[in-house]
Amino acid sequence: MPETGQASSGSSIRRSSTSSRRKPKKNQIPLGMLVVVLMVVVGLVQANREPMLGFYWMMGGVFGFILQKSRFCFTASMRDPCITGSTSVTRAVLIAFAITTIMFTAIKFGYASMGLPVPGMSYVTPISFATAAGGILFGIGMVIAGGCASGTLMRVGEGFFMQILSLFFFVVGSLVGAAHFGWWKEKFIIHGPSVFLPDVFGWVGAVVLQLLIIACLYKAAALWEEKKMGGSED
Amino acid sequence: MAEFTLDCLGEACPIPLMKTEKKLEGLAVGDILIVSIDHSCAMKNIPEWARKQGHNVEIDEVDDGEWEVVIEKTK
Repeated sequence: MPETGQASSGSSIRRSSTSSRRKPKKNQIPLGMLVVVLMVVVGLVQANREPMLGFYWMMGGVFGFILQKSRFCFTASMRDPCITGSTSVTRAVLIAFAITTIMFTAIKFGYASMGLPVPGMSYVTPISFATAAGGILFGIGMVIAGGCASGTLMRVGEGFFMQILSLFFFVVGSLVGAAHFGWWKEKFIIHGPSVFLPDVFGWVGAVVLQLLIIACLYKAAALWEEKKMGGSED
Repeated sequence: MAEFTLDCLGEACPIPLMKTEKKLEGLAVGDILIVSIDHSCAMKNIPEWARKQGHNVEIDEVDDGEWEVVIEKTK
């Protein structure tokens, strides 16, 4: 947030009345330091009990920090193209997908080339109309709630009160979903084909194909913004 | 050169942006709109949208987690 703090000094827009009331802001840095120290202490205690717990704790904190500072929002990436035509967040998400494609393939290929079982294969799940139906439901929900899972958590952390409500029903929904998941899986999900791209196209082919598709989407997103907003500036 | 305010405190994305869009439509060129927000992502997408439309935009953090987006309509 480069604008905070000194934003009012170099004002070029002249305002008449409403700019005068200004409360002195509390310095949050000491409190922030305290939170960092507490997080490190909790992380160390956790790591002592179970090494992975400390790792999860650290990843969670880092993830949240990056998410908050970057304003990375999966909801906005799908929503903004429709309401304003802006696709800057959409393109950011596509870049993130491209990077993860390369990194995860590297990890999986590393294991496969050593003859070890490839990690994360339990996430290669069948695709069917259930995938699309679930996606649409999730999409509707996240636009109404003002954030996807990670976005809601991040904004609760920021102190945005309304989304504590979202978080509550997010938990309720997840519990109900988890309780019924077996039925859905047995009746619908399991019947779809599951595709692991490297099995079909080979490792290089899969990465190239996926990156090509992402590049096409990126180009489409850029063109969309140009069409809707009349030329993008970045 | 009138000045208008728009209270979007407590409203989540994308409501502040859409309200701003609607409100700005009805203003005359040179008018100033001050949007109060406390949803941090509106602090990002309202200025981005308004700047791309060619308006002058300033952000003022009036309190911790509370901002005023000042938009001068230029066209």
